[in-house]
Amino acid sequence: MAEPDEDDDHIYVNEETELGTQRVRVAHAPARRIVPPLNFCPVERYLYRSGQPSPVNFPFLLDLRLKTIIWLANEEPQDTLLEFCDAHSIQLQFATINPDGGEDDNPWDGLTEHSIIAALQTIVNADNYPLLVCCGMGRHRTGTVIGCLRRIMGWNLASVSEEYRRFTGSRGGRILVELLIEAFDTRLVAIDQERAPRWLART
Amino acid sequence: MVYIPPLNFAPVVSTAVSLYRSGYPMPLNYPFIADRLHLKTVIYVGDKDISDDYKNFLDAQDINYEFVYVKSCRDANINEQMDQVLLKVLDKKNYPILIHSNKGKHRVGVVVGIIRKLLQGWSTTGIYQEYGIFSGGLKGEVDLEFITMFDTELVVRKDGVPDFVKAREGDDGAY
Repeated sequence: MAEPDEDDDHIYVNEETELGTQRVRVAHAPARRIVPPLNFCPVERYLYRSGQPSPVNFPFLLDLRLKTIIWLANEEPQDTLLEFCDAHSIQLQFATINPDGGEDDNPWDGLTEHSIIAALQTIVNADNYPLLVCCGMGRHRTGTVIGCLRRIMGWNLASVSEEYRRFTGSRGGRILVELLIEAFDTRLVAIDQERAPRWLART
Repeated sequence: MVYIPPLNFAPVVSTAVSLYRSGYPMPLNYPFIADRLHLKTVIYVGDKDISDDYKNFLDAQDINYEFVYVKSCRDANINEQMDQVLLKVLDKKNYPILIHSNKGKHRVGVVVGIIRKLLQGWSTTGIYQEYGIFSGGLKGEVDLEFITMFDTELVVRKDGVPDFVKAREGDDGAY
């Protein structure tokens, strides 16, 4: 239906667009800076780890468009984090360290097998992504869960330990955590191939 | 199959595109790289010539190898070297990308710090902390000062810029 003239016009416009491809300038940092939570690091596609986020980190977290946060502790996180999750429809999952520990429980205890599995069942389901795994400092409890995930992914043990220790700060890693990771029976986590993130899908 | 990632391996960005960091890949890391990362580009920031093993592996995997000669952030032409890396990072066509140095601590730490600052707008403390995680607590003051002071002047095609790069209209910085 196009007249030859219009065709020419059309081509002309295309050429102009091609020649004038939009360009952007990269020079200095954006004026508004974002602050990552303590010990923040990407783990896999749309999967992140960190220490407990505080209000100064919320603009950073918004950029991640999180759907789920796994909080590895017995006590509730700060009210501000609860409110933040509420306001942005982020599902906050508690994976208590030791559900039967009651008052005797303390943050130095390792995670029980039960709580590691609970956290990993959430992680192996892509419906929950983007996802952040966190605990108080993002060191030992988070490190335990990510370490067990790496074992599921087939990483060799030395590499799993290297990654764990990286995040443990100047006092180094705990042997107990590394033993937990080593002893973890990866078959206890049921992976639904239909729902697994692509990087976990069997090759 | 047991997979052995390279030393100090981690994702830097893993959203629509994937950008990874590590130390120098050894033959025992090749299965991991081939099966898990599906790389299109490797950027080596360092001062060593490529080994035959490594070259054969990259060729067989059809991975583009970009060698950016960097001895340290005190190099005379360090700004041009950083621009060379940034231009690769600012083009979606090159992903997935692995940037590595020898140990994955200092030179990669500087590159990642600059990406965090210029392209993502991370705070200085966040950048320092991340540098420390991968350098094993070594402070690297010269590196950190370099990251803090670095800026540049690059003009790139908008349609090639990956999603993680901050787009802020009207901001006279990284778009």
